[in-house]
Amino acid sequence: MAAKSRAGAPGAGLRHRCEMDFTHQLELFPGCSVTLLLFDHVKNAAALRKKAMEGSIEGALINPAMIVDPFQILVAANKAVHLHKIGKMKTRTLYAEIIFSLSPNNNISDAFKKFGISDSDTAVLVVLVVDREKTVNLEDIASQVEGQQVSLDELPQLTDAAKVKKMYKVTPQEEKIGTLLDSIVCRMSTKDVL
Amino acid sequence: MAAAETEAGGLCSGMAGAAGPAVDEAGAAAAAAGPAVDEAGAEAPAVDEAGAAAADEAEAPPPPLPGLQLVQQGAEARVYRGLFLGRAAVAKLRIPKRYRHPALEERLSRRRTAQEARSLLRCRRAGISAPVVYFVDYVTNSIYLEDIVGSITVQDHINSVQQSGNDTSSLLTLAEKMGELLARMHDEDLIHGDLTTSNILLRPPTEKLDLVLIDFGLSFISGLPEDKGVDLYVLEKAFLSTHPDTETMFKALLKTYAATSKKSGPVIKRLDEVRLRGRKRSMIG
Repeated sequence: MAAKSRAGAPGAGLRHRCEMDFTHQLELFPGCSVTLLLFDHVKNAAALRKKAMEGSIEGALINPAMIVDPFQILVAANKAVHLHKIGKMKTRTLYAEIIFSLSPNNNISDAFKKFGISDSDTAVLVVLVVDREKTVNLEDIASQVEGQQVSLDELPQLTDAAKVKKMYKVTPQEEKIGTLLDSIVCRMSTKDVL
Repeated sequence: MAAAETEAGGLCSGMAGAAGPAVDEAGAAAAAAGPAVDEAGAEAPAVDEAGAAAADEAEAPPPPLPGLQLVQQGAEARVYRGLFLGRAAVAKLRIPKRYRHPALEERLSRRRTAQEARSLLRCRRAGISAPVVYFVDYVTNSIYLEDIVGSITVQDHINSVQQSGNDTSSLLTLAEKMGELLARMHDEDLIHGDLTTSNILLRPPTEKLDLVLIDFGLSFISGLPEDKGVDLYVLEKAFLSTHPDTETMFKALLKTYAATSKKSGPVIKRLDEVRLRGRKRSMIG
């Protein structure tokens, strides 16, 4: 569901907004919004990954094959922003924390390996968290990706459901009582209690 | 929604686990919900709510969710409905108890929140219908869960069926489904701790009898027949006191429970023993 919440000015400087973007304001953190950009036929995944590791590109670069719905990203981002605000992140940056929050386990490097992008990837999901005061130029970021931006509606086509089920260890009984997204979100949000 | 009206009826109000209060003090050390304590706790909510509302208005501001409405204020927590990350959600904000020592309060609150989250995940992994957890905030000890839109509590359902006077056979089927659900839960060694008909929801459409368990704030893990027996006893007392003429219903529930659960023998035996204890029961002979 590519709901577009353009009402008001979620992030003061969100330029290059178009129908393919997906933006949602985090209810619990007023003024903070999450934007998703999806790219396919990406040719420079390796360069992008390098930039991400150096911290020279704004945003979390995620492998769309592991994402079943934008809601999954919102849950991860919400948790990451929460931990960031109370100074209890497990990783060093907000964007790293978002990637870590996606993982069902507490192994940080594993999270990056599985949810971050790898050199051979041809699709990239860019997640941005924009605060009221900050100015983020989407045009800038999009131009660094050598690929075609597509609508978030196309995300299901890029998802590898089997891989996701395996990663999150979804049980057959679980599949009967809810969607794959339900199982995933439950694990993400209760990860630190176990 | 319909679930909101349940706070008027029944001695154990629903989602907020209002039967909890008396258990808090006793339970703090023992961390178990017993039937006798449960009933004593029932009187507490009315008193607590008045006090809590006054004392804690400033303490826990409602979450800024769009479409926010207060569903229920129990003694344990305030329950709100609203949109969270674009989805219909329920937010349970624990009410801090100022009469407790702050260290104890923090620890207890955190433990309850963690237990709830843990139990909900455990249920889902075992294929037992329970709300999805969206977010747990360990600072305010609040939990954001899936809202089962259009659901009604089993309590409301039974009341409406009894009032309309027809189709009481469907109530027996409902009882059987409940028995089956509880058997599966207990087979996972999960004790709900606050089983009442207002803590079981019916997903729409109601005729499908698709049940969802909620409110795991007092839940814990145990394989002991004693704990499972007590869990069933709590439900029995709540059942029979809230819904008149439902003895056959509960019998059907237990029958299906016994048939579904692999470990039911000792549990039923224990239940019989627990019944002999309880309030206003002579333990002579």
